[in-house]
Amino acid sequence: MTKWDRVLVIAIVVLAITALPVATALAGGGANRVVITGPHGRTVLPIGVPRRVTVEGALGPVEVVISDGAARVTESSCPDKLCVRSGPIAAAGHAVVCAPNGVTVVVGGDERGVFDAVVR
Amino acid sequence: MSVASSTPSFASHVVVAAPRSTGALARAACLLAMGSVLGLVESWLVPALPLPGVRLGLANLAVVLAMVLVGDGRALAVSIGRVIIVGAATGSLGGPGSALAAGGALAAWTVMVALRRLGGERFSVVGWSAAGSAAHVLAQIGVACALAGSFAPLFVAPVSVLAGLVFGVIIGYLALLLLSRIPLAAYASR
Repeated sequence: MTKWDRVLVIAIVVLAITALPVATALAGGGANRVVITGPHGRTVLPIGVPRRVTVEGALGPVEVVISDGAARVTESSCPDKLCVRSGPIAAAGHAVVCAPNGVTVVVGGDERGVFDAVVR
Repeated sequence: MSVASSTPSFASHVVVAAPRSTGALARAACLLAMGSVLGLVESWLVPALPLPGVRLGLANLAVVLAMVLVGDGRALAVSIGRVIIVGAATGSLGGPGSALAAGGALAAWTVMVALRRLGGERFSVVGWSAAGSAAHVLAQIGVACALAGSFAPLFVAPVSVLAGLVFGVIIGYLALLLLSRIPLAAYASR
């Protein structure tokens, strides 16, 4: 092993160690957007920007609020309000669905989200 | 290791079998066979390793030996040929496994040849093997990211690179050991 071999190996080791935080951050599968799908069409919003948006569902309006990096349904025209009671979602892949209205609010980012594998 | 002191330096100026000679062709074929066998053995060992993303890189031994004995061009043939043969033998040819292996093999060969051409005397076979191994692992992770459509494979990147580096150094010393056993006259044969 020559001197330069040693230099090369040490350089790669240092590189691997210093890249650890970067790699972990990149691989984190950051959730970065909220996709609201329904009879009105499709609305894509960034999850970092606080917003209140009302979409038209099958039975009436559905209000979605994005705040503190999470999305939740605050008001809905459905009879049971299960969507409102679902609470906020923040992780990629999580969703809140209002079935009577046909509205789904999904957090997107890393396409896989909470799933370990997707088989087609 | 006393091996290193008794072997000639395998830098870019080392005389290598003439590319067009049948001797070189035969030698390259043997190295391809060797690389294929090593690749197959490694494919059997893979489930036994507990950590994800840790590869032995045994087949790289044949590529590194080829670089010294039959030249860089033939070494590339040994590398790619090994991926094809092992892929066909394990029934994964054309699948994601082959894509990972091919990407890794290409990257490893590129890095090793670059080190040899640009570094000249400075790097020995051990250095080539170590860098080639690291490049192999990184390229495999890159291909995995592309196939998975996400950056998730990067989680294992640092561990994999370090493990690949360790095995690369070991393979490099193994290559040095093997090369030291070949009589010097064999290098000059045509």
